Amino acid sequence: MANFLGESYMDIDDPEVHEDNDVDMIIESSSNKEDDKERNFWKGSTNAKPDKFEIEEGSLELLRVFYKRFFPYKTYCYWLNYSIDPMDKPFQNREFNFVKPGDDEVYMRYLSFDTIEEFKNEVLRVCPKKIDIGAVFTAKPKEKKSLKLSALKPVEKELIFDIDMNDYDEFRTCCSGATICEKCWQLIAVAIKILDSALREDFGFKYLLWVYSGRRGVHCWVCDERARKLSDDERKSIASYLGVIKGGAQQNKKVHLYKNSLHPSLTRAHKIIEEYFERVILEDQEVLKDEREWTKVLECIPDDGVRRRLDDDWRKNSSRHSTEKWDNLLAELESSTKMTKNQKKADSLRVCKIEIMLQYLYPRLDEAVSTKMIHLLKSPFCVHPSTGRVCVPIIPEECENFNPMVVPTISSLYNEINDYDRSHVKNDGERSLHDYEKTSLSPYIKYFDKFVQSILKETLAKNKAAMQMSMEF
Amino acid sequence: MYSNTDTNNKRTLASSTVGGERYEVKRHHGTKYPHLLNFYSVPPTEEITIDEFESFAFDRLQVLKALEGAILRNKSEDDVKKYLEETSNKWLPLHSNESSKAYLVQEERRKDHISHFILRLAYSRTEELRNWFLKYECALFKLRFLRENPTEKQAFLNDENMRWKSLNQAEKKLMKEELNACSIPITTDGEFCDLFEIDFEKVPDLVARRAVYLKEGKAYVPVTQQLSLVMYEFRQRLAKALELASKSFITLRNERIMPMLDEIIKQYDGRTQTSNYSVINNPIADNLVDHFPLCMQHLYQNLCENHHLKHYARIQFNLFLKGIGLTVEESLAFWKKSFSKVDEDKFQRDYAYNIRHNYGVEGKRQDYKPLNCMSLITKHRPNSGEIHGCPFREFSQPNLKAKLVQMGVRNDEHIREILNLAEEEHYQVACTKYFEITKGLLDKNNDSIIIETIEHPNEYLNASVLLEKNRKKMSNKDK
Repeated sequence: MANFLGESYMDIDDPEVHEDNDVDMIIESSSNKEDDKERNFWKGSTNAKPDKFEIEEGSLELLRVFYKRFFPYKTYCYWLNYSIDPMDKPFQNREFNFVKPGDDEVYMRYLSFDTIEEFKNEVLRVCPKKIDIGAVFTAKPKEKKSLKLSALKPVEKELIFDIDMNDYDEFRTCCSGATICEKCWQLIAVAIKILDSALREDFGFKYLLWVYSGRRGVHCWVCDERARKLSDDERKSIASYLGVIKGGAQQNKKVHLYKNSLHPSLTRAHKIIEEYFERVILEDQEVLKDEREWTKVLECIPDDGVRRRLDDDWRKNSSRHSTEKWDNLLAELESSTKMTKNQKKADSLRVCKIEIMLQYLYPRLDEAVSTKMIHLLKSPFCVHPSTGRVCVPIIPEECENFNPMVVPTISSLYNEINDYDRSHVKNDGERSLHDYEKTSLSPYIKYFDKFVQSILKETLAKNKAAMQMSMEF
Repeated sequence: MYSNTDTNNKRTLASSTVGGERYEVKRHHGTKYPHLLNFYSVPPTEEITIDEFESFAFDRLQVLKALEGAILRNKSEDDVKKYLEETSNKWLPLHSNESSKAYLVQEERRKDHISHFILRLAYSRTEELRNWFLKYECALFKLRFLRENPTEKQAFLNDENMRWKSLNQAEKKLMKEELNACSIPITTDGEFCDLFEIDFEKVPDLVARRAVYLKEGKAYVPVTQQLSLVMYEFRQRLAKALELASKSFITLRNERIMPMLDEIIKQYDGRTQTSNYSVINNPIADNLVDHFPLCMQHLYQNLCENHHLKHYARIQFNLFLKGIGLTVEESLAFWKKSFSKVDEDKFQRDYAYNIRHNYGVEGKRQDYKPLNCMSLITKHRPNSGEIHGCPFREFSQPNLKAKLVQMGVRNDEHIREILNLAEEEHYQVACTKYFEITKGLLDKNNDSIIIETIEHPNEYLNASVLLEKNRKKMSNKDK
């Protein structure tokens, strides 16, 4: 298929050719990212040893109910097939990865399925606590063992992005680690808005599926045909275009802009950030509250004098609110910009405000996830093992109002459907409802249905046009 | 596939290059090679002697390898250019049309053309070889393109049919502001220059640097950035051609040519000799900590404090240990001990596999090499919360200063010197300076080894160990 040759393109700055082009390495880096110290949902409460086994059985049972009655198999498979029946290469050559239920992380790698039925039966049989989606290959991944290594090559895959609250921990004051609240969700919401607009307006992508990862992050699946066919190098260039936050734990200033001009994409991001910065960063997170916090902000200012003056002032008035301190900072930056005769210095002070704003609210992307076609990513509509929450789609326009705390869990769904069945007697002639329609999962599945329909429509239109073309000849 | 001609020494190349397809050689303006630049889309069809076959191939290889050396050593672009100029003039001179009276440009270009196709065939055999060839042929073409004068360049591109959709004046005016904001020069002498509308996939390097205006999937590229477009085209075509050549390689069975091609591949440099980076006989990591370079010291300290390292830090450190000479078992034991807070099950499940993987005993069984400085500096830059990479690059100035003080660099002059080098992005030079300062090599000139530039963490370690050995020997002698 197209574009595959692009893979062998090597950047001139890239001295080693072969390193870590290997699925095994990549899978580890992704699975290890989520900290697994905390208790595992399937285990139930870890300190109540005697009935541990029962609770474990219980939540596994809930998961089984979820897969049996709620998982949207048909739409899901149509989505990955990019067409309705019959199932074709995009689905049949797609790599899946199941994690078996239980305490051990037992991976079932290189799975693939020929039909919706086969997929459904295997899910019901294994009852995986996690499903990962990989790339579409030149052949069926399940036949890996009988194939030559060169016969199984990745050809397409959605362009994916992963935003994780983890990466905001250096300044998140409301929560830390795996916890999340409505306040810090706003960080993610702003990231979604910026990334969504960049992907649509700069790259012209239309079919963006945003999915809550079940705990403290979101994934974005870009499903346009053009995105699916991108080579690894093209993915790398996009990730680099969108990556503004650079530097590790030992680097405090993580955004560096060119002097006077802001790239149109960043101008747009900055506009979005301006709407939220005061509320999210200054009021909710209070990043200038005490010395430990404000030092991090001050370290982004490239001038000793400015830093010292602000630091002295705030030490004397440390009870001043973050919004007021931010005003001090802006005023100080402006007056110093005017005072200095050094053009270079003036430029760097002028962009400093924008740099700080971007550092706090520009999306922090996990680049490795986006740059490799073969990277596996947790599927939509599976269930997060530590929270029990379903990985539901998020409507980007409404992401601010999304509340991760009220996302349906497998136990809430179980209760909802039982309540419904108990209190509803079906009248004659009444349309029988799907199970999901009886629960709070309904709006999410309906949104997903609509999303998939819109992609299928476009493929259909394209195929029709292609048919007509060939008819004319 | 291959024909034996009447004279034993002559071979036709065309049939052995690209899957048996035959091309007509284009003839422009009465000459075979109108331009210095060549996209190499047409294989040579003439007969050449065995001697020529061999010497052409080796000469081109000298140039490519010189280029590799310069790039790996992180030389500046100007240095690379100068270096290439010297090597080219020696092995594979190529002059522009303006010098056609002084030099035999047609002969030069014939050699360039034929040698490219011999190496293309020889290096099509494995993916690793193909990638190597592709990379340095691209680098070579790029430098030549930059050197060529504008009129010649344009003539070449016209002949190659490289044209892109241009915007008209009105369209350009509409997006003037956005284009200006991308800090790309879009005017020449006050006039708008030509502006092309191109799919963003075709200019990955401009996209990656955010150096182009993007709108709905189209990139707007001024003529001044033409190089990106040309390079994309060159790379795509050559990558495709190499795949094709690799297929024809399988069918190529010729007792004369095969041994020669094998010989050429053998020249492929020493990057495959992984085995011994090390001069250490007793590989217990803890005794060697004082000899670790700063990047590894930093990881090791973190490991001791937190009993944990993240993914890329683990890879970096584990491969370093491997370079020291730890066997896979010793390495596993070391990590097991260091990850003292992780229980056995979890260790086996989440970490042991990767440690073995680094040693090439799992997964696709690739024998990974210890990462060199260039890799540490350029690849997998740390994200927030990660501590791997080159400290001279990844630490902010205050943090680097604190680290240096902690490591015993107390002289203000020395500290400033290292910080300045790091700030000017001479990370490896900064590391070398750090080596010289901490090993007390600055004032005494009597020590036998002086390192030019640190290029590999294991090299740092080996130099340090060797230095200590020599000093011990010296002091014993003195006694």
